[in-house]
Amino acid sequence: MNYELLQPDSLSGAMEALAQHGDEAKVLAGGTAVVLMLQQKLIAPTVLVSIGRVPDLDHIRTEPDGLHIGPLTILRDMERSSVIQRRFPLLAQACGEVGNVRIRNQATLGGNLAEADYASDPPTALLALGAQVTATSVRGARTIPLEDFLVGFYTTDLEPDELITDIFIPASTPGSRMTYLKYKSRSSEDRPCTGVAAIAAFGAKTCTDLRVAVGAACEVPQRLPAVESLARGQALTDELIGEIAAGYADSIETLEDIRGSARYRTQMIRVHVYRALEELRNGHR
Amino acid sequence: MAIGKSVPMLDSVARVTGTVPYASNLKLPDMLVGKVFRSSVPHARTIKLDVSAAEQLPGVVAIVTAADFAGDDTPNLHFGSTIQDQPVVAGDRIRFIGEPVALIAAESVVIADQAMDLIELEYEEIPAIFDAEEALLPGAPVLHEAFPDNLLGHSKLRRGDIEAGFAAADEIFEEVFSSPVAQQASLETQVAAARWKDGKLTVWTGSQSPYTVRRVLSAIFDLDVEDVRVIVPPLGGGFGGKGNIRTQPMAAALAWKVGDRPVKLVMTRAEEFLTVTKHAAKIIVKSGVKLDGTFTARKVTIYWNAGAYASSSAHLVPAGMLRALGPYRIPAGHVDSYGIYTNLPIAAAYRGAMSSQGVFAHESHMDTIAHRLGIDPLELRIKNLLRTDDIFATGERLHDIHFVECLEAAADGLGWHEPLQRENGTVKKRGRGVAVMMKNTIANSSSECRIKLDAEGRVTLYTSTVETGQGGHTAMAQIAAEALGVPIEALTVIGPDTAETPPDAQTASSRSTHMMGNAVLNGAASLRQHLAEAAAPILEWSPEDLSVADGYVFVTTQPQERIPYAEVLGRKNIAALTATGKYWTNEGKLDPETGQGISTPDWHQGAGACEVEVDTQTGKVTVLRYHSASFAGRVVNPTLAGLQNDGNVIFGLGASLLEEVAIDGGQITNPNLSDYMLPSFLDIPVELKNVSLEAEGSTFQGIGEMTLPPVAPAIANAIYDAVGARIRDLPLTAEKVLRVIHEQGEADDEQ
Amino acid sequence: MNKAKPMMSNRTLTLQVNGQPQTLEVPSGQILLETLREALDLVGARNSCGIGMCGTCTVLVDGMAISSCLTLTAQVEGKHITTIEGLSQNGQLHPVQQAYIDHGAFQCAYCTPGLILSTVALLNEHVNPDDATVREYLAGNLCRCGSYVNILNAVRACHTIND
Repeated sequence: MNYELLQPDSLSGAMEALAQHGDEAKVLAGGTAVVLMLQQKLIAPTVLVSIGRVPDLDHIRTEPDGLHIGPLTILRDMERSSVIQRRFPLLAQACGEVGNVRIRNQATLGGNLAEADYASDPPTALLALGAQVTATSVRGARTIPLEDFLVGFYTTDLEPDELITDIFIPASTPGSRMTYLKYKSRSSEDRPCTGVAAIAAFGAKTCTDLRVAVGAACEVPQRLPAVESLARGQALTDELIGEIAAGYADSIETLEDIRGSARYRTQMIRVHVYRALEELRNGHR
Repeated sequence: MAIGKSVPMLDSVARVTGTVPYASNLKLPDMLVGKVFRSSVPHARTIKLDVSAAEQLPGVVAIVTAADFAGDDTPNLHFGSTIQDQPVVAGDRIRFIGEPVALIAAESVVIADQAMDLIELEYEEIPAIFDAEEALLPGAPVLHEAFPDNLLGHSKLRRGDIEAGFAAADEIFEEVFSSPVAQQASLETQVAAARWKDGKLTVWTGSQSPYTVRRVLSAIFDLDVEDVRVIVPPLGGGFGGKGNIRTQPMAAALAWKVGDRPVKLVMTRAEEFLTVTKHAAKIIVKSGVKLDGTFTARKVTIYWNAGAYASSSAHLVPAGMLRALGPYRIPAGHVDSYGIYTNLPIAAAYRGAMSSQGVFAHESHMDTIAHRLGIDPLELRIKNLLRTDDIFATGERLHDIHFVECLEAAADGLGWHEPLQRENGTVKKRGRGVAVMMKNTIANSSSECRIKLDAEGRVTLYTSTVETGQGGHTAMAQIAAEALGVPIEALTVIGPDTAETPPDAQTASSRSTHMMGNAVLNGAASLRQHLAEAAAPILEWSPEDLSVADGYVFVTTQPQERIPYAEVLGRKNIAALTATGKYWTNEGKLDPETGQGISTPDWHQGAGACEVEVDTQTGKVTVLRYHSASFAGRVVNPTLAGLQNDGNVIFGLGASLLEEVAIDGGQITNPNLSDYMLPSFLDIPVELKNVSLEAEGSTFQGIGEMTLPPVAPAIANAIYDAVGARIRDLPLTAEKVLRVIHEQGEADDEQ
Repeated sequence: MNKAKPMMSNRTLTLQVNGQPQTLEVPSGQILLETLREALDLVGARNSCGIGMCGTCTVLVDGMAISSCLTLTAQVEGKHITTIEGLSQNGQLHPVQQAYIDHGAFQCAYCTPGLILSTVALLNEHVNPDDATVREYLAGNLCRCGSYVNILNAVRACHTIND
């Protein structure tokens, strides 16, 4: 617990602090992950850069190309945002599934992505939405598709001197239906055993576009474009939904933890991909 | 009348304003922080323990190791309430991962943590054993040389000719069940603070057993029991985990080494899992049954995994024996209850202790039998349940028996005889289950109290009943208020404090309402006698002609000739009248070879009935409705009684569906409340109801556990009813249910 | 006797606690729970799980429930913090506190301050929450004694008062 706490009040100040201290530093946003890890002595940074005083990092801004979300936006604001509820309801659902009210009052979207915890809900929803992360440092800014940002188990593509400054969600095809299904194998307060995010656009009788992301059952959330494409131009029959669900179950290498074995995870992927697609087809939301 | 009313808990305002003085809040002048350095291997011989660098660290005041116990004038290293096998800190031998090896007293937690990193421990690992049944096999690693077969206790119940009973049966059923290691998980963790002054020891601790703590500490430090004072503020939950001896010897040893400053030791959440757990058990039940559902014989074998030290297991293993057969008429009954040492953390009482495991087995087993014989599970139970005046397997004649009423109350509440819509065209299916339990209580024990009436009319009750959250102090105050004829507002309850409050065995096994409640009645009767004697000269009648009630001493034949209590004391110039009350039981002495004798003053009785929904694609079980019933004899406080019944069911839901301490090579891998989950608001049935049954002429009975043990088998039976899947190992996880559904489906396909 | 210095730099900061400004010197890495309990002797917030799961350390920051075990004191500098000790005014219990007593909504009460503060936050956000909303909102506050049914009754009574 021998670290220096910096609380820069500008973005440039935060960038400079990170540039100076690099991998000795840890960024503190809401604190639900970082303070926990500090308390449990799981991390030992020499500098903690709190970005809570940096202005304008908690926006939810609609622009013609899509939605821009500031990294300090708390999950509770995501969950309750009318624009997110209207345009990207699965993201509101996924953010509303995290932890409990207190955690969601503190945890931020940027912090959630930077932690890259496999057993979390928002990354899966964001992957299905085709989200992009902007990382900024004194060296400049770069935009990273989420599938490239999430590298592995608790690992991201962020450099030690970089800070997430924006999360961008491109506009969806008008009339798209979307859902997020969190499956908890134990208590209501559990992390996901599996999470399935699905988005479908429909023509007169057929599905014109399908995106399905599966998370929590594997090291990083995954999409399978080859399987998704089975739906394109097709009616979502029970058979086709079953084929897609099986495609996901068969292709994803699942992990084992206290919430279920790898084999069970595979079974749950199949069940919940099926249920998600069935829900979209039946147009319940 | 104070009894039978839902009086709010006496300290309700403190409870909602955050000012309850839990031990964890204790601050004493100059108090130091205690911290425990623990082993990281399950079984080892210690080669070297070097704490010199840690001792040099500024801010470290004292470090205790086994070497501090090595001299002639030093405290005794080993302790135990029954078997003295447990060292305050490990000496030449380590027996489980997380065993205390060195204790640190420091100025702050930060310093104590730094000191931990400076301690060096060298050891030689030796083979470890974690499975209780395997620990009994020849050649298994031995934990304690005095117990070469790792068997710390074997309790035997022998009634009737068991082989003849099985021979007379039409069908024999045999099933094997298991129940995992679990953790009590009080929200307040274990706390003990200690201070030495003039050769005397004072301990403040969250304990359910203050007098056991006093006795054991006096033995460790070779003190007269009067020189050890144990003070117990209200607990932030106990659930058995704070019974017996836990962290108190470590706090006392640290303060002893420090000398002139108090030391407080608070367990972290992770350490809580290393301090005490619930016994894992394997239970084998074999029954002989006639086709009409009559039993001819039952044999039960239970292996209790006690962990590395005996702690309370020595007296819990016999209790487990008594609770294993179930409350049924069975002419021949044999039980073997084995308590076994393994290289795991200590197991001890967990609410519903030594009942839940056996009840899960025999109540699941009852449904297996019912389904095979084509008899309704409720009918099979009612046909065979014990009644008043029946003879139990111990040979004792039963009194005040209400198993049938409990079971029917739960089943009727649920609507057992109403039709159930099992399917609604989805993948979810519904089913119902019932279960019933019996348990003895701690027998051959006593409770004492002291009651003081002062000249202002205020009554102070001194009791060593621990306020664990059950409302024990409020219930005692209600009993005292009614027995003395004073309003509840006149009552103050003090204790436990072994310097002030008389001895009580402990607050455990749901014994307090009955044992201490009757001690309070006896004390109140004695105080009324004192009042009559004091008032006799004033009223100019002899004490035998006087009555004492409703705040007055009065002439029995002329009630208008009366005088208020306070005035009696005032006119006689008495500051206060004091009386003691005692209540004890002499039962519990059973023949060690046959278990025959009188086992308990009363039998604890409870039942449950539930409706569940099973998702046949995920295996996830949702308990939609749950109705519980306990036999309370006479209810002291309906609200508090209801909280006990509901609280038990919710606790049982956790043990049934969620709770399992995961252990890998002796290492607990989920010692936190994210990986080890407790039931939340959303995990409880939307319909959760309870009833406490009373009976004319009955006295107060304990209800602290009775509705808990039926929960797991009631749910397991409902799962079977819904999807035909029988799960015999707890907890009833979604994954296990799905696996059995699939196995069932494959079996059906083959047929 | 050795008096050790904290290894971390201290910082002086001002918090608004229960309506009163409090200027304190705390180690910069100290969590809010510890500051409340140790420096301000506000012991209604309690340590239990240490990971934000159980809710015994719940306090309100600008009216929003948070886990004080996962919050550095420095993060809430200048913000308004309400603890259970700040709910009752002039010896008069807050209606939520009174409802918890009236409905026997606690046993050991280690969880109770957190639950009461979460209930206050809930009723600030929802005028007339239905049972499902109450359960959902309070699910992050664990009661090991299992008083949930009575807690639900207490909360129902609170929004009856609000009507």
